[in-house]
Amino acid sequence: MSVDPQVLARARARVLGVPSITVAEPVPPGFTGASDGTRVWLLPEWPDGATPALLEEYDTAPMPLDRPGQARRVLAAALRCCWPRLDDAPWPGQDALVIDVLEVYVGLSRGDADLARRWATGELRRLADTGWLLLDEAAGTVRPGPRVALWADETLGPLRDLLRRLPEPVREDAP
Amino acid sequence: MSPTSDDAFAARDDAPSLDDVLEGEAVLGVYRQMFAALARDSGAVVDDPELVDVAETLLAAFADAGEEGLSREQMRYVCRRYPAEVFDNRLRVLKGLGAVREVFPKPNQLRYRASFTSVVGLMFVRRMMLDGGQSEMHRLLALEQLNVADPRMTPAQARDGADGLARAFRLWSVELLTLTNGTIEELREQAPKLWGTEEILQRAERLHGAILRRWPQLDRTCTDLRAAIYAYGDASRRAAARLSDSAGTTRNLTLLPPETWRTFARTATREELAAVLDGFVFDAPAPWHEPSAVVAAVEDGPRATPPRPAPPRPSVPDPGLSGDTGSDATAVERLRTVAEQVLRGRDRVAVQDVLDQDWVTARRLLADLSSVHLHPELPYRLAWGDGMAARPDGSPTWVSSGVFERTGR
Repeated sequence: MSVDPQVLARARARVLGVPSITVAEPVPPGFTGASDGTRVWLLPEWPDGATPALLEEYDTAPMPLDRPGQARRVLAAALRCCWPRLDDAPWPGQDALVIDVLEVYVGLSRGDADLARRWATGELRRLADTGWLLLDEAAGTVRPGPRVALWADETLGPLRDLLRRLPEPVREDAP
Repeated sequence: MSPTSDDAFAARDDAPSLDDVLEGEAVLGVYRQMFAALARDSGAVVDDPELVDVAETLLAAFADAGEEGLSREQMRYVCRRYPAEVFDNRLRVLKGLGAVREVFPKPNQLRYRASFTSVVGLMFVRRMMLDGGQSEMHRLLALEQLNVADPRMTPAQARDGADGLARAFRLWSVELLTLTNGTIEELREQAPKLWGTEEILQRAERLHGAILRRWPQLDRTCTDLRAAIYAYGDASRRAAARLSDSAGTTRNLTLLPPETWRTFARTATREELAAVLDGFVFDAPAPWHEPSAVVAAVEDGPRATPPRPAPPRPSVPDPGLSGDTGSDATAVERLRTVAEQVLRGRDRVAVQDVLDQDWVTARRLLADLSSVHLHPELPYRLAWGDGMAARPDGSPTWVSSGVFERTGR
């Protein structure tokens, strides 16, 4: 049985979430690629450049999410560290240390700092699972995920203002 | 409700006549047709719900076919979704029980027709499957109420109806009592049987009152019925009380206790565990975080310090701090340079010698020298003497005698 390799690639991409392929391989139809130079991440393509934020205008419930506020605060803390040049696009960003991200998140939150770090670690893993961050737990680094490449540039203004206001990560070993 | 009871009635007479046998055979025929759809073979009930679907498909096709009936090939075509052996088996059983029979009772008959009784029986069975016995009880009570109001009703029929209802209520309360004394899991599973009991009780009591008003001579039967109704009410109340005791604070009776979940997770086979996820789609869309949502989440989040408004930003790019901080050291250095230029290595110099330039430059120098004199850190001084020299041609036009000198420090 022969299956069109493009169809097969598309099916694989849908099952795997946000897979990455080498730059040399073609992007299957129905996907947009977010490339960082060596690899291409396959992302869903929406008609007419709409994003899922459009669901809100139609009063349709978006994808349900446990503790969306916490997840987004962790995402903001991660972007504060991996997106240092705010005038550029957030993707592909830079590698940042996970401990820095956790410190920024602790600065954002209230209460027990250890507990906040543990919550944030869990959220970092969940965000990495859904392609919002690329987390390398062995190296202890994190960088923006390919999904942030789908953000339209004109919607980024408030986010840039917010990230400018966020405190910088405090480093003990900083010069 | 079983055919054997009719046989027993027939056997009570010492010499059963041919008429009795015929009558019993007719009753048996109705029973057989009613439950033909459920029969696996002529002696047992189906063990696969799909077999009932075959029967239903067939009966629906017969209804569409009209008086012509269907040939065997047409029946096979209607049931083409099912395997051939299943279809053959069903057809044989349905024929054997009289649900499907030849249009004319002749050998080698090719066309068949279906029995009306079987369809009604199947409808009844489907309804029982959908609603369970309780709603059938509601229907029976309503029907009986109509019957009692019917002027053609005889006391004997009313007594039979009341006896049947009393028997049903007694069996029901026995079942509830067994449940109440059994395990709580089983009780929870059967909990829907307990819902709406109040309504059934009221309806039954109304029926009981109607029978008693119309036929006072049936008081004995009515007493039985009344006792059965009350027994049922007590049993259902006790079962409900046990159920609500075990449920604790939650009123959601469909929630399983944690122990049941844990036991299932430990004892289930791999297939059973996988079946739990049967209805899930695994390429579900990922959550979407809009930038504005991220901003809103951070701004609504709990924070240690009270929120501060963002400082106003200039419209032009900010070049940062300028190098001129206005610190004192720079000014002191400049003044020291000025003083050394004036002294040129000497210890003292007359002021009028220094001011021999044009007035614009000279007054600036004089101001600097005054600053040097007044600065507490610098070791210079400006000393003015008495007298004044007028120089109409010079510039400045008058000077007073004074010296600028190095103090010893």
